[in-house]
Amino acid sequence: MRASLVVGVVGGGVAGLFTAYYLVREGFCDIVVFEKRYVGSGGSYRCATGIRASFTSREHILLMKHSIELWREFSIEHNVAYERGGYIWLLTRESDLEAFKGYVGFQNSLGVPTRFLDPEEVRDYVPSINTDNILAGVYDPLAGKACCFETVLTLYKYLREHGVKFYTSTCVEKIVVENNCVKGVVTNRGFYEADKVLVAAGYGSREILKTTGIDLPLENLPRHALVTERYREHFKPLLIDWSSSSYIVQVKDGNFLIGAEVPENPGNPLSNRIDFLYQAANTWTRYLPWLANVHILRYWTGYYVMTPDHHPVIGPIDEVNGLYVATGFSGHGFMIAPVTGLNMAYWILHDKPYDSIASNLSYRRLVEGRLIKEVAVFG
Amino acid sequence: MDARRVIVCRCEDVTLADVLEAIEEGYRDLESLKRRLRIGMGACQGSHCLPIVARILARKTGKGFDELYIPGNRPPLSPIEFKYFLKESEG
Repeated sequence: MRASLVVGVVGGGVAGLFTAYYLVREGFCDIVVFEKRYVGSGGSYRCATGIRASFTSREHILLMKHSIELWREFSIEHNVAYERGGYIWLLTRESDLEAFKGYVGFQNSLGVPTRFLDPEEVRDYVPSINTDNILAGVYDPLAGKACCFETVLTLYKYLREHGVKFYTSTCVEKIVVENNCVKGVVTNRGFYEADKVLVAAGYGSREILKTTGIDLPLENLPRHALVTERYREHFKPLLIDWSSSSYIVQVKDGNFLIGAEVPENPGNPLSNRIDFLYQAANTWTRYLPWLANVHILRYWTGYYVMTPDHHPVIGPIDEVNGLYVATGFSGHGFMIAPVTGLNMAYWILHDKPYDSIASNLSYRRLVEGRLIKEVAVFG
Repeated sequence: MDARRVIVCRCEDVTLADVLEAIEEGYRDLESLKRRLRIGMGACQGSHCLPIVARILARKTGKGFDELYIPGNRPPLSPIEFKYFLKESEG
């Protein structure tokens, strides 16, 4: 590796920032981050901040298990708010009980200690919950949440202190490739040389990679979330109403954050919808009657960047030397970001992932139709 | 004047000293300052604090007020209780 090697990171969200972070930890600091708006401006600042390993594919479970260990290390070292307060899935339909028995068994077999709770036990974790409609809960004690603001700002500061350059309000328009090797990127502010380029720009990765002849099957799916005014801590776990795919979590500063599903088609523009507020209010006041008198403070929208199998696309792009991708997190980009970053850093510096199973998430699987099956996508 | 006693954001209790410290730490755009200090995240939706912090930031960085990107407004305009969104049939 020559001394002048420069790594360009396209996208200043958590995937790109954690990659730069682990490159720096490996002693490599010649990094330039290009961000079309401001650092954190996409999904990173809009997410629900939940972090868990209780998934339904081997790839997700093993990588997320590693990710939650990295979250713990990162949070302790940099004093970032991260807490394992658990997740509870609230089940209200008989058919869900059978399905979750399967999920729990699979998760337990891979070392994730999810377990069933009866409605009374749910109340141990959420004292004010109305359990009338609840048949059972499923509890994941290893799951938790981190503050997305502290995470992004801490990375941003740490990276700048270690000499990483940031070009914000800088849009990458084209990747320049010569003789199958990356040479740099063309931006709205001109050309920048780079020997290796990671494209971690959410859905924007699609247009950027098209300039090299690669077309990733990504879709942008609008999602909706709100926060209430702030309260003293009332409950620790993130709660999911499984029948409506809706969740509520009390974030670090005390606001209750609610996401609720309203019908959306991929590619829809982001717009505020009154039916979202009705959906959120009706779902969660049934469980938490006091919520009726709580104020909604802010409502925003963001995108899940979906792949056909709802798993990320991470790793090198074999067709072009020096080109890498990390996108398509399908709603789980924040929680998986540390392990994404570590693996990308290893791929970039050592030509192999840190976790061998990360290879299963390569771009090639989508081309060759080897899709990964996951039964459940939420949160 | 003690910067610790000058309130810039009343919703989130942010002082002038907090803003100056955050700018010193290297957060020199309003979006980062918003997430660092919670300005613009309170009940007034930033209607008071954001122009004030933009002015402080303009002075500190030498940029024009108009060059500083002001974070977008998000609904609702003022806080509103969930009870106004309950449907009788489902309630």
